[in-house]
Amino acid sequence: MEFVKPGTYIDFMRWSRPVITVSLTLVVLSILSLVVWPKANLGTDFAGGTEMQLKFRGNINSEELRAALDDLGYSRPDVLAVQGKRNEFIVRVSEISSIPVSRQRTIEANATRAFAEGGRATEFNFSQGGDKILLRFAAAREAADIESVLERAGVDVRAVAPYGAAEEFRYEVQLVGIGDEIVAKLSERLGSRGPEPALRVEWVGPRAGEQLRDAAIKALLYTLAFIMVYVAFRFDLRFAPGAILSLAHDVLITLGIYVLLQREVAISTVASLLTVLGFSINDTIVVYDRIRENMQRERGKSLREIINLSTSQMLSRNIITQGLVVACIVPFIVLGTPAVQDIALSLAIGVLVGTYSSIYIAAPVTEWLDRRFFRATSLVKQAPRAKTAEASA
Amino acid sequence: MDRNWYFRLTVVLAAVTVAWLALWPSLGSLNPDGSLARGSILPAGAVAPKWVRDTFRGRISPGLDIRGGLRLMYQVQVEGYITEERNRVAERLLREVGVALRLLTDEEANDPPAAKLDAVRERVTVKRVGASSIRLVFKNEADARRIDRDWLAENHGQFRLDASRRNGPKEVFITYRDAQIEEMRRTAVAQAVQTIERRIDALGLREATVSGRDSDIIVEVPGADQRAFDEIRSIISRTARLEFKIVDESAGWMPGPEVQLPAGVERAGGNLTAKGNAGRDALASFIEDLPIPEDHTLAVGDAGESEGQTVWRVYYLLDATEVTGDDIESASVQFNEQEANRPVVALQFKDRGAVDFEELTGRNVGKSMAIVLDDRVMSAPTINERIAGGRAQITLGSGFGQNLMDEANNLVVVLKSGALPARLTASNEQMIGPSLGPAAVREATKAATIGIGIILAFMLLYYQFAGFVADIMVLVNLLLQLAIMAAFEATLTLPGIAATALTVGMSIDANVLITERIREELRAGRTARAAVDQGFDRAFWSIFDGQITTLIAGVVLFQFGTGPIKGFSVMLMIGMITSLFTGIFCSKVVLEWYVRGLKRQHIPVG
Repeated sequence: MEFVKPGTYIDFMRWSRPVITVSLTLVVLSILSLVVWPKANLGTDFAGGTEMQLKFRGNINSEELRAALDDLGYSRPDVLAVQGKRNEFIVRVSEISSIPVSRQRTIEANATRAFAEGGRATEFNFSQGGDKILLRFAAAREAADIESVLERAGVDVRAVAPYGAAEEFRYEVQLVGIGDEIVAKLSERLGSRGPEPALRVEWVGPRAGEQLRDAAIKALLYTLAFIMVYVAFRFDLRFAPGAILSLAHDVLITLGIYVLLQREVAISTVASLLTVLGFSINDTIVVYDRIRENMQRERGKSLREIINLSTSQMLSRNIITQGLVVACIVPFIVLGTPAVQDIALSLAIGVLVGTYSSIYIAAPVTEWLDRRFFRATSLVKQAPRAKTAEASA
Repeated sequence: MDRNWYFRLTVVLAAVTVAWLALWPSLGSLNPDGSLARGSILPAGAVAPKWVRDTFRGRISPGLDIRGGLRLMYQVQVEGYITEERNRVAERLLREVGVALRLLTDEEANDPPAAKLDAVRERVTVKRVGASSIRLVFKNEADARRIDRDWLAENHGQFRLDASRRNGPKEVFITYRDAQIEEMRRTAVAQAVQTIERRIDALGLREATVSGRDSDIIVEVPGADQRAFDEIRSIISRTARLEFKIVDESAGWMPGPEVQLPAGVERAGGNLTAKGNAGRDALASFIEDLPIPEDHTLAVGDAGESEGQTVWRVYYLLDATEVTGDDIESASVQFNEQEANRPVVALQFKDRGAVDFEELTGRNVGKSMAIVLDDRVMSAPTINERIAGGRAQITLGSGFGQNLMDEANNLVVVLKSGALPARLTASNEQMIGPSLGPAAVREATKAATIGIGIILAFMLLYYQFAGFVADIMVLVNLLLQLAIMAAFEATLTLPGIAATALTVGMSIDANVLITERIREELRAGRTARAAVDQGFDRAFWSIFDGQITTLIAGVVLFQFGTGPIKGFSVMLMIGMITSLFTGIFCSKVVLEWYVRGLKRQHIPVG
């Protein structure tokens, strides 16, 4: 059985111009999708979320609770059973109870005005997670008084508690937020089995901060540099830029499509982009290797022809390997949990883009460099006929 | 078949056997109730015999998402951090006020002559108030007026004047702005998260997660191994603040004979001593409240042993800290020449730290220098000469054998990853269940099985005998990868299952390349034997180059990555090496046997 008949020769290079144009457009669109619209949909890993601990009145397991939260429209709820305590769970959702900045300003202005008499508010800060207000007064104030002023200013208050040194008159105001909303909705849905008032509700910071992002970018740049050196050393300097461009191309387009589909960007997305990188290098090198071999065997042919020939010869291998890798990924898209589905999806996109870039980005760039800058010392020995034809042209 | 072939066959068989033995114990721990095995390729209930479990101790442990683990919550003592920052400002403030009062020039401010500094002290006293304020008490009002809002804005913009809290016009009361306090809180928590991440990374491949919020830090550690938890706990909450301070041998701090000492604390040789841990704590809390000059501090340290208990004494130290743990470039465990079985922690300073250390020792020849770790004096050697070269060592307190060794290793980890910006207190600890249900895990293993199944079936149909060989290699590769994961004590998460399936998919590439090449050579009219030889020879370099470039990516990621990226890069590298081994080395042994050993003229490659 053969997918590609032996001896097939396809003139890939004929289409290189339009295809490269399409690629460039895709790269630009990917960058735009990242920085202009619709921008990455950052998951709890990068953006933080709300975490709460709930105790239920009746029996419930984590699968049922997760399904209930999913149905109620919370994206990717994390449900962890607290071991050793029946029906107690830690729930994490990516929604946060944040009040828009413009409304925060109005609330602050209203409240500060109302606080003008009897112990002026010297500080008025919304917490990072938007679920608390931190207040400081010039003199002592009643908690009930603070609550009523804030309610009138337009926020729903759950509790007011003093904190810090007594002479500093600081108060922490807990606002009604996503936690209360979840408790209310779950009670309605589960009836008598529903949750007791939340044991605690807190904003959680991202697990992966700038440190991870910076490390990933640094790693990416160093990888590209080292691969460039390796390719220049094992093959030829002319092969290196093509390899690097095709890698950058693959990573960018994969990320672009992923962002356009508005899938959640998590730590695992970074890992799968790096896998795409590894896969894409491998693919490019295999095609390069055949080009190098054919340059020695098929003397007299132009680099263009050699690229066509090599790509055609590797076509069968490419189809099979790519097909098998995708076949390996597809079951995860069908059967996986949302998190695994996302990983599988980004890998599938990356593998497909990677195959195409090793045909249409890496080799054509090499050919172009050779033609444009290294005519005198071209990689291929042209037949005398071709040389004179070029010279007369 | 030649001797070389038999040798290679032995290598293959040995690798497979060792891999199976290494993986065997993990099957039980991965799959305690058999749930992972249903519908997957893992054999159910494979319990390894005891000798295997004892010899191969590494296990693959299921990650937080699959089996849950321990969730630790710590509170960052931000107050302490703020107080320290405030103290740092207070230390400089006297000199700065000296400049403002024209008693010191700008140049003199860095290292003022003692006489001039006394002149400044004549006119102003700097007092620390509460956690975040400073009170300046002047001799006359005109001086106090010099320290006005403009001066403050220029020199210490993070402070504001608080007129309501000063006692009269001869005083200036300054306190941190609230926004500054909030900023310091954020910085302290963010730094603590980073430090803990570094410490956990240094422990190896455990997929623990660290996150921060308000002033809390949450660490989630997969698994259920109490020993591992203890290790992580001891490494996380350790502040690891290392300071070098000069010992003041005078006894000015000693409480008079009329002062009542707490139980367990005794007067001995012009000092206070106590025995055992309880005594140490009593001593430490007693000296906290002793009145001493502001430029001095007291700390408890080890003073040898008596009747099997450690004896603690008090050190009277100059408060100024010129060299700290921040100045350390690296730390390592070494063995003392005199006492071969007592490890010490050797330190190498950074360039800047080395200069400071040399200067500090040069200025204090003949005195003792206390090495203070987390407010406890580890040792206080006498400085015999100026110490150049930027090296120092910490001798550990009492303790024996393995405990001392563990202590030394932990210390190296925490010193290398830097001190925590503030003290942490454990606030909550609970065991948590998996974030994914067993159904999700079953689905994922099912997906992995289907994916690998498709590959196996396709290879067999398309490449026939060569495909069959490739299929065996895929399974061997999977076995090797899992075995190496077990040896590294890697954590298997759901995305990890997906990644493993994918590496298997990618490893088939070597076999595809070789078989395609053999096909080409057969078409070119070569004999089966020549085609196999040529196929391997020619495909070798493209496989090799492809894998090496991927390996480069892996190495770089390992070097720069943190946490999850590091774990991922290790998996990538393992996958590359095992697929080179199975794809090239192992398949060659089998195919050579077919064309040489069996002397077949025809090789079915589809």
